[in-house]
Amino acid sequence: MRTRFLLPVVAGFTLALAGTGQAEPVRFNRDVLPILADNCFACHGPDSAKRKAGLRLDREADARKAVGTEGASELIRRITSADPEERMPPKGSGRELTKGQTETLRQWIAEGAKWEKHWAFVPPVRPEPPGVANAAWVRTPIDRFILARLEQAGLKPSPETDRATLIRRMSFDLTGLPPTPAEVDAFVADTSPDAVERLADRLLASPRFGERMAWRWMEAARYADTNGYQTDAGRDMWRWRDWVIEAYNRNLPFDQFTIEQLAGDLLPGATLDQRIATGFNRNHRGNAEGGVVPEEYAVEYVADRVETTSTVWLGLTLGCARCHDHKFDPFSQREFYQLFAYFNNVPESGHAVKYGNSPPFIKAPTPEQARRLERLTDDVATLERTLSARRNEEDDAQARWEKTVKPAELPDWSPDRGLLTYLPMKLSDQLNVRDGKPTLRPGKIGMGLDLDGRRFAEHSTVGDFGFYDRFSIALWVRPRSLSGALVSRMVEEPRGEGYGIHLVNGKVQVHLTKRWLDDALRVETVEPLKTDQWRHITVTYDGARLAAGVKIYIDGIEAKTNVLFDELNQTFQSKEPFRIGSGGGPTTRFNGLIDEVRIYGRTLDANEACVLAVAESPAQIIAKPTANRTTAEADKLRAFFIAKAAPAEIHDAHEVVYAAREARRKFAESIPTVMVMEEMPKPRETHVLVRGQYDRPGPKVTAAGPATLPNTPTGGNRLDLARWLVSSDNPLTARVAVNRIWQLHFGTGLVATGEDFGTQGTFPSHPEMLDWVATEFVRTGWDVKRMHKLIVTSAGYRQSSRIPKDAPASDPNNRLLSRFPRNRLSAEMIRDQALLASGLLVENQGGPSVKPYQPAGLWDELSGVGDYVPDTGDKLYRRSSYTYWKRTAPPPGLSTFDATARETCWVRETRTNTPLQALTLLNDVTYVEAARKLAERVLHERSTIDERLTLAFQRITARVPTAAELGVLHRALERQLTDLRSDPAATRKSLKVGESAIDSRLDPVELAAYAAVCRLILNLDEAVTKE
Amino acid sequence: MTLPSRIADTFSQLTRRAFLGRTVGAAALASLLGETASGTEPHFKPTAKRVIYLFQSGAPSQLDLFDHKPKLKDLFAKELPDSIRRGQRLTGMTATQESFPVAPSKYKFQQRGKSGAWISDLLPRTAIVADDLCFIKSVHTEAINHDPAITFAQTGAQLAGRPSLGAWIAYGLGSEAKDLPAFVVLLSQGSGNPADQPLYDRLWGSGFLPSRYQGVKFRSQGDPVLYLTNPDGVSTTSQRRLLDDLAELNALKQADVGDPEIATRTAQYEMAFRMQASVPALTDLSKEPASTFELYGEDARKPGTFAANCLLARRLAERDVRFIQLYHRGWDQHTNLPKQIEAQCRDTDRASAALITDLKQRGLLKDTLVVWGGEFGRTVYCQGRLTAEDYGRDHHPRCFTVWLAGGGIKPGITHGETDDFGYNVVRDPVDIHDLNATILHCLGIDHLKLTHKYQGRYFRLTDVHGRVVKDVLA
Repeated sequence: MRTRFLLPVVAGFTLALAGTGQAEPVRFNRDVLPILADNCFACHGPDSAKRKAGLRLDREADARKAVGTEGASELIRRITSADPEERMPPKGSGRELTKGQTETLRQWIAEGAKWEKHWAFVPPVRPEPPGVANAAWVRTPIDRFILARLEQAGLKPSPETDRATLIRRMSFDLTGLPPTPAEVDAFVADTSPDAVERLADRLLASPRFGERMAWRWMEAARYADTNGYQTDAGRDMWRWRDWVIEAYNRNLPFDQFTIEQLAGDLLPGATLDQRIATGFNRNHRGNAEGGVVPEEYAVEYVADRVETTSTVWLGLTLGCARCHDHKFDPFSQREFYQLFAYFNNVPESGHAVKYGNSPPFIKAPTPEQARRLERLTDDVATLERTLSARRNEEDDAQARWEKTVKPAELPDWSPDRGLLTYLPMKLSDQLNVRDGKPTLRPGKIGMGLDLDGRRFAEHSTVGDFGFYDRFSIALWVRPRSLSGALVSRMVEEPRGEGYGIHLVNGKVQVHLTKRWLDDALRVETVEPLKTDQWRHITVTYDGARLAAGVKIYIDGIEAKTNVLFDELNQTFQSKEPFRIGSGGGPTTRFNGLIDEVRIYGRTLDANEACVLAVAESPAQIIAKPTANRTTAEADKLRAFFIAKAAPAEIHDAHEVVYAAREARRKFAESIPTVMVMEEMPKPRETHVLVRGQYDRPGPKVTAAGPATLPNTPTGGNRLDLARWLVSSDNPLTARVAVNRIWQLHFGTGLVATGEDFGTQGTFPSHPEMLDWVATEFVRTGWDVKRMHKLIVTSAGYRQSSRIPKDAPASDPNNRLLSRFPRNRLSAEMIRDQALLASGLLVENQGGPSVKPYQPAGLWDELSGVGDYVPDTGDKLYRRSSYTYWKRTAPPPGLSTFDATARETCWVRETRTNTPLQALTLLNDVTYVEAARKLAERVLHERSTIDERLTLAFQRITARVPTAAELGVLHRALERQLTDLRSDPAATRKSLKVGESAIDSRLDPVELAAYAAVCRLILNLDEAVTKE
Repeated sequence: MTLPSRIADTFSQLTRRAFLGRTVGAAALASLLGETASGTEPHFKPTAKRVIYLFQSGAPSQLDLFDHKPKLKDLFAKELPDSIRRGQRLTGMTATQESFPVAPSKYKFQQRGKSGAWISDLLPRTAIVADDLCFIKSVHTEAINHDPAITFAQTGAQLAGRPSLGAWIAYGLGSEAKDLPAFVVLLSQGSGNPADQPLYDRLWGSGFLPSRYQGVKFRSQGDPVLYLTNPDGVSTTSQRRLLDDLAELNALKQADVGDPEIATRTAQYEMAFRMQASVPALTDLSKEPASTFELYGEDARKPGTFAANCLLARRLAERDVRFIQLYHRGWDQHTNLPKQIEAQCRDTDRASAALITDLKQRGLLKDTLVVWGGEFGRTVYCQGRLTAEDYGRDHHPRCFTVWLAGGGIKPGITHGETDDFGYNVVRDPVDIHDLNATILHCLGIDHLKLTHKYQGRYFRLTDVHGRVVKDVLA
C-alpha cells in the first residue's frame, strides 16, 4: 500500500496546502518539474528518438519559447485548449493534467517561470539549520529542520514517547531485536541526561548491529544462496555476506565500503577481504539453463551491475536508458553503455555454472581457516623436509634389500593406493564379451584382450563415477586402427551420457558428457598415437568439473592437451556398465589390443602415472644393473620398496607424509569460495546495443560516467568510477545513502522514492535537511554509526507514534513528521523477536547459511528434483540474516512479510498487511514453538499468574500490560486451563510442536495454557509493530 | 456491478485505510483520486469475470498436437531448408548439430467438430470440445529457453522483477471472492518428464506491486494453503477464542494509539479464519457426485494431479476467484518425444476437455476465459536420434499454438497460420504481449492503462507493446 499510494499522497498534500490559502510560491523543482516530467517528457524530453515537434521541455533554453510569459504562454494555451487536436497531453498518451497541476503551471509562469536544474543533480550545499520558535524542543540540528517545517505548516511535534517504547524502537532499529525486560528496566531507571546517547552507543557497539544492517544491504545487493534461474541450484556467497556484517560492525566508512565492494580487487595490494567485498557485483543471478546463448546472458549480468550500482549509489534508474535514451532524466543510451563498459571486463561466461560458483571466484578462507590451512601446509613441508633428509638412509636400505631379496619371490606390482579394480585380462576378470567371442592374445603383460572393431567387454559394476568424484583409469593399448572407444561408462549412442576414453584419429580424448553439444567436457592430446605400438595411458580427474582437472599421461608422461569443450554443468554418472573397447555404440568400437586396466578412486599423481607405465616387474628391474635402469624403472622399484619391502619406519614416514598431504588437500577443498570481480588484462570491447539487444551491437564506446553529473570520470576502470561515486563532485551518493539510513528508521525516506532521485522521483519532504545530513555524513568521514546516532538521539525520532485525535488533515501520511511513524516490523525482525524472546535464538555470527523450519514439499513441488531439508538443532534458531535463500522459492515465512525475493536489487521498505501473515503468525511452527518456550521461561522466572503474564507480555512489547489487557490475558489463561485439563491428548499434542525438548519439570496443562497465551501475545498487532 | 466502480472501490478502499479516523477534507481525497486513478480506470464492459489459465510448462509440441503439416511426411529426415530457418538463432543444445533433419509427427490428425479444427489423435477428448475452442496457431515469443520464456509469458518480461499476469489482474480488479484470495495457483507434475521444467515463485509473484496481489498456492500436500491448519492440539473453538481475545486486545491498543492499521490487521485475522474454513471446503471433493469423476476421470480423485486441479479450478470459478492459474509440468521433450507426449496427453487431455464441458454445463463458460498453452513451441527438426517412431524436438520460439475458450472468445475458429514446416508464422502473428493484452481485454481492462509507477516509470504488463487480437473476440 505504501508503495502504491505514497506518491499521490505527497502530491495531494502539496495541493491541499496550496488550497488552504497559504500563499507559498511555486518551486520549480518541487512543484513544476514533476508535472512536466510525468506528463510531457515522454515526447518532449531527453529521448531524442521519441521527441515530437522538435520541442524539448527538459532544458530551459529549449523550453523558454513554449513556456512564454503570463498571458502569452503557448504551453498554457495547449494544456487548456478545448480543441482535442491541440490539447496536451494528447489523447491516447494516458496522461492528463489535473486542475491543480494546470494551476501550478499557471502560477509558476505568473511568478516568472524560474528554472532550476533538477535538485538531485546539483551537489548539496550545507545549509544553516533554520531558526525555530520552540527552540527548547531541539536536541540535534536535524530537529531544527523538522520543527521549522512543522511550524511553517502550523503543526506541532508529538510529545516524547515513553522510555519503554523508545528502547524497543531503538533496539529494533539498530540491532533488529527487541530489548530484554532487564534492559528496559535499566533504561527506564536511567535518569541521566545522556541516557539515550549511551543507549545508542551500546546498541551501535553490539555485533547485532551488523546483522541488522546487512539484511537491507543484502536486499539491495540481490544476495542469495542460489543462482536464480531454472534449476536455481546453490552457490556460495556467504563469505561476502559475512564481510558486510563485519564491515558494518567495524564501522567501515561508507566511502571505503563503497570502493571495496565496487573495486576492491583493483586497490593496490588488495587484501583477501577487499577482494571478497567485490562479491557485491557478482550477487546477480546466473543462468545455467541448458541451451542458453551465453552472449545473451553475459550482457544481462553486466546490465544488472549497472542498474544495481546506479540504484544503490546514485538513486538513478539508468536501466531505463538501456534500450533508448532515458525518457525523463538527461541520460543517453550511449551513456548507459559507457557505464556498462566499466563492468564489462570480468573474465566470465554468460553460461553460468549450474551447481556452485561461476568463475571468477576465489578461495576465501575465514581467518580461522586460513590459520589452519597454514598449519597444515607447514606440517606437510616439515614432514617432506624430514623425508628428504632421510633420502640417503632410504638409498642404503634399498641397496641392502636389493642384495638380500630373492627376485623370483617378488610379486609384480603397480601403484595400488586407491586401486578399486584391476583387470589383467584373465578369465577371472568377470568380463562379459559382447558382439563376438572372447579372444585373448599375448598382451603387454600376460594375455591382453583382442578386439576387432565389433566385439567388446563389459563389467557390470565397476567405474561408477560422477562429476564430483576423483578418479583415475590406466591401461595399455595397442591400436590396429586409430579411432575407437577404449573404455567407457556411457549410454551406447554416439556422444551418449557418461564418460569415456576414446581414440580419435590417434589422439586420446577424454569425454565427460551430460548432454552432448552443451553440457560436456572434452580434452584431447596434441600428439597422436600410432598403430601397432603398445602405449600406456593414464587419465586422472580431480572432481572439479573443469577441463583443467583432467590429465592424460602417455607412457607415464603428462601429455600436452587441447581443451575441446569445457561446459560440464551436471553429473555424467550413468547406469551403464563399464565397457572395454566400446563407448557410444557400434560405430565406434575399438580395433586392437587392450591390457592391464586399472581403475582408481583417487587422482593419481605424476609419479604414480610414471610408475604405472613401467611394464617391467620389480623383479625384472632388480635384475638390471643400477646404471642400466631408466629413471622410471628406478622410481618404480623405489615405490615398490617403500610400499612393500622397506623397514617400518621408512614405510611409515611416507605414509605420514601422504596422510598430511591428504589432510591438507581435503581441508583446502572444504574452504569456501566466493565469486569476485576481476579485470581481464585487455578490456572487452563495449558497444551500444541497439534496442538493448545483445546481438545488435552499435557504435563502440569506452568507459565514462554520465555527462550530466559533475566531473564524472572518462576512461579508467571500476576503481576510478568507485572513487568518483564517493567524491565531493558527486551530488547523489551521500544523499542516496543517508536517505536509506533515514528510511531504515522512519520507514519512508526523505525522498520517498529511494530508488529514484531522478525527475520522476518524489521531491524530498525536507530538502534542506537532506542536504544537511548528506554533507554532515561526508564531513564526518562517511561515519555510518554516527549518522544512526544522530538520528536516533534526535527529538524528531523520540516522538510518540500515537496518532492524536486532531491529527493534521493537511499531512495525512505524516511526511512532515509531527509524530514517529507507526510501522509493522520487517519480516526478519518478526521471526528474530520470537526467537529471542523465547530464548531459542542462537547467536553465532557468520558461517554458511542455515535452513530453519519450512513446510515440506515447497522445493519439490516446483522442480521435482529434491526438497528442502531443514537443519536440526542450533541451526533452526539462528538469526534470519543467515537463512538459506533460494530465489525461485524464498522462505515463505519471510516472503509473506514482504521480504524481497532477491532476484533483483530492492532498496525500499515495504509493508503489507494480509491474511497470509495472520496464518503464518498463528500456525507456523516457528511461532508455536516460540510461544511454548516463552511460556516455559515465564513459568520458571516468575511465580504468580499476574507476574507470569506480565513478563510474557513484556518480553514482546517491552511494556507492562494495562489492567484491561491483563484482564483479557487472565481470562484467556483460565479458559485454556479449563479446556486443556479435560483434554490431555490436545495438551500433549500442542506441546510437541517444534524440535526443542519439552520441559518435563513443568505441569503439561499449565505449560500448554501459558503457551497458548504467549501465542496470543505473539500475534498482537503491537507485537509486530514498531511504535 | 460494473467494472469502473469496482476498480474505484478497490482503490478508494485501499486509500481510505490511511485516512480512517481522520478528518480529511473531501477535496483532498478527491484530488488524490484525481491524481492517481487514471492508471487503473477500465474502459469497457468485460466479457469475462475470471480466467483459468491451464499453463503447460515445458512447451508442448504444436506439431504433434494442433499444427497439422501433412506435407512433412514426404520430407522425413530431409534437411530443413535454409529458406525456412533463415539463420534464426537456435538454442545451445542444437545450434551446433551437424544436421537439422525434419521429423514429421508420427500422430494422425483429423478435422474435428463443425469447425473442422485439425487435432491429433493424442487429444481425443479435446477433439470433442473443439467447437468451443479458439486455436491461435501463430503465437510466438522472444525467449528461447524455459526460464526467460515462461517468465516472459507470465510477467511480460524475460527477467525477474515484474508482476505476474494474475497479480496485475488482482491489482486492477480486486477480489470478488469473499473468503478466498483473488489469485490462486495450482501445480501438477506431468508423467512425461518428471524432473523438467522447474517453476518459480516469481511466475505468480507480485514483482514491484504490493505482495497482497501475489498468487496464493493451493497445495496438494500438507496444508492446502501454507500455515492454514491450526497447530496440533488447537481446536477451532480455541482458535476462535484466540482471535476474539486478539481482537479485544488490538481494539484496546487502537483506542490508545489511534492507528487504523490495527483494525485492518484484525480484519486480516478474520479473513484468515474464514479461509481456514473456506479452503478445506473448497478442496474437499468428497461431495462431488460420481458424474464429476466420470467427466474428469479417476485421476481427479488424486490430489495434485492435473485432473484434480482442473476440478478445483471449476470450484474456484464457482466461488468467483478472479484468476486461477494451473501449471502442469513435463512437456520438455528434447528426446523420446512420443513416449513423453503420450504420457502428458493422458494427464491433461481428458481433464482440459472436462473443464470446458463442466463450465459450460454450469453456465460458467460464458464469463470464464480459459487459456491453454505453454511458453514456446518445438522445432520441426529433430534433436538427437530420428526414426519413424522416435524423435525429439528442441525449443522453438517462432510459433506455437495456444487455445482460448469461453468469456468473450469466438468459439470454433482457428486464428493465424504457420508455414508448411510449422516453423514461421505466415499469417496473423500473435506475440505474448498480444495474448496478454487480449486476456486483459476480456476482463474489461485496457492493457495500455493498467499501470503502476515504479522507478520513475509507468510499468504495464505488456511493456510498450501489445495489441488486442480483435479477430478472436466474439
